Amino acid sequence: MNVLTSVAEVSWFILLVAAGVAALVGYLYSHFKFYARSWFFPVVLAVFPALALAVSGGLLGGYTLKLWLYFAVAEAVIAAFFRYAVKGRHTVPYLLLAPAFAGLALLLVYPFVFEIYLSFHDLKLTTIMMWKNTGELPFVGLDQFVKVFTTSPLSETTFWELLLRTLVWTFSNVFFHVLGGFILALMLNNQIRFKGLYRTLLVIPWAMPQVVAVLAMRGEFHFTNGFVNIAITKLIDKLPFLAALGLAPVQWLSDYPLLTCTLINIWLGIPFMMVVILGGLQSISSSYYDAADIDGASYFQKLRFITLPLVRPVMMPAVTLGTVWTFNNINVIYLVTGQAGGTEQADILVSALYKAAFTYNRYSYSAAFALVVFAMLFFFSVFYLKSFDAAKDER
Amino acid sequence: MKTKMTAAAKRRLVKSVLLHAGLLLFAAGCVYPLLRILSVSLRPGDKLVSTDLSLIPAGATLLSYSKLLGDTMFLRWLWNSLLITLATSFIGVSLASTAAYAFSRFRFPGKKAGMILLLSSQMIPAGMLILPLFLMIMKLKLMNTYLGMIIAYSVSSLPFSIWILKGYYDTIPRSLEEAALVDGTSQVGAFWRIILPLSTPALSIAFLFNFTTAWNEYLVARVVLFSSKQYTWTLGLFELQGQYITQWGMFAAGSMLVTIPVLCVFLYSSKWLISGLTLGSVKG
Repeated sequence: MNVLTSVAEVSWFILLVAAGVAALVGYLYSHFKFYARSWFFPVVLAVFPALALAVSGGLLGGYTLKLWLYFAVAEAVIAAFFRYAVKGRHTVPYLLLAPAFAGLALLLVYPFVFEIYLSFHDLKLTTIMMWKNTGELPFVGLDQFVKVFTTSPLSETTFWELLLRTLVWTFSNVFFHVLGGFILALMLNNQIRFKGLYRTLLVIPWAMPQVVAVLAMRGEFHFTNGFVNIAITKLIDKLPFLAALGLAPVQWLSDYPLLTCTLINIWLGIPFMMVVILGGLQSISSSYYDAADIDGASYFQKLRFITLPLVRPVMMPAVTLGTVWTFNNINVIYLVTGQAGGTEQADILVSALYKAAFTYNRYSYSAAFALVVFAMLFFFSVFYLKSFDAAKDER
Repeated sequence: MKTKMTAAAKRRLVKSVLLHAGLLLFAAGCVYPLLRILSVSLRPGDKLVSTDLSLIPAGATLLSYSKLLGDTMFLRWLWNSLLITLATSFIGVSLASTAAYAFSRFRFPGKKAGMILLLSSQMIPAGMLILPLFLMIMKLKLMNTYLGMIIAYSVSSLPFSIWILKGYYDTIPRSLEEAALVDGTSQVGAFWRIILPLSTPALSIAFLFNFTTAWNEYLVARVVLFSSKQYTWTLGLFELQGQYITQWGMFAAGSMLVTIPVLCVFLYSSKWLISGLTLGSVKG
């Protein structure tokens, strides 16, 4: 019974989405098709504002003249746009695009705009009931942005510490991802047996569900039952002189949380880079290497002057993506340290943002925080892509 | 018979031994954690917390599995995840398939801007949109429901799906549609009867990508769902792993049950996924 009701609920929702798409397409189609008819303005002005009023009234429970007037003005503008600017051109592509872009507008662009609205207002645990009931919030101007730089998003760590930690985290992760991926790709790019098998085994960390992979690795860093400390203990048993050198089981999760997260994330991220770089290596024609062999080039000369420059165009977008992903990686850090009593010694900007919003319920503050982080990422991307384009032109 | 190896052959042999040794070492590092989960999931209850490193534990049982399926709501969590994921993937791929066709076959004002918008949407930190989506879902009174989750997930993979599908449509020769148009089909009819059936491989890859993204999602589910009946499996496993060390066996059993199908699907589809990921770069 439970199964049936849940299926019914979801199917009903899918039908609702389909109806919405059909309504949107029908609405646009009528404007594309009949824009030139003499009855165009009177008919659309009579039909669509009334329909919109009926739907929104049914949802919100109120049919006011003011609302109808809004809809009528909006419809007049849209109809005029279709009549004098669009003139029925490009009907098919726009109709094909409309549903997807309506979805993106509702669930990507609108939330983004809403985030900006939030950052200039004050939504927190004490004002959320008021907002739920009336939809109004006190305006506080730039206060939230000032707070981002002057107070801690968590209980002690400041914005600047988080920024520094994020840079260290991003740089060390991406560095080891690329290094490890490159070494593995070079090893795989040889004529060896079981190549397919090795390749399959090596992508397992990427292929596993991330939640399982991170939680399992977290278990391996447990003080008494994790693999890492057990291995250290056994090693000391075998080679006692290591203990004299200061090797001992480590409280990974409480003493070195950031290091633990970094190790786990390096393990997770190498396969992606390996696969991308391997694809790049395989696309290099062997004639370059043959020519180099004739000239008597050494292995490292070939690596430096053939492999690296030719893999670069494939690698750069992957590195950019990897940098953005690592910078934005909440998952690993939250899953390792996010439980009750978890430490904040491993938090980077985005995970602090998530905790500020949902552990400390500081909504507006974290909205401002998110915009600051977004601006940083945006400028990084623009700058980075520009420099990449410049490098491309040189070649 | 005594054969003397030449120096070159010797070098080749050494190289191949070193390569195999290195690859084996790395492969072991990649697989070992998975094998450890398997081993923990097979341990009898009294040996869950041991420092034993052997892969098949002494007295291996399937007790953790039966306890997981009998005592927790694991099946219910899987069902919740499955429903949410199927619905979002269906919506996502349907929207992407038509939009990608527009980008692949037509020239229209705003085409380039649209493509750039799609790419740049990938730059928005995922964590940033969780808050407004959470507040929207709260305002719509959809907290703790399937619908709230489906709404939050449905467009997250849309840009990437459009990107993959456009790349695939670009490889289908236009002459096929032109022939159909000459025979009197409309442009939409040609898309529906010719392009879509030909694109089943790309459509299934886009579907799989949508599916795995939603299936493995954790952060949105954490804030939208709060009663354990509505949990997706990611939340359920986190609970099992977090609270008591005695549930370690059940956590491991659940992990195995979820990981194996996902691994199979991923390994099957990885080739196409990767070509999708690197498409822009190869062309650029």
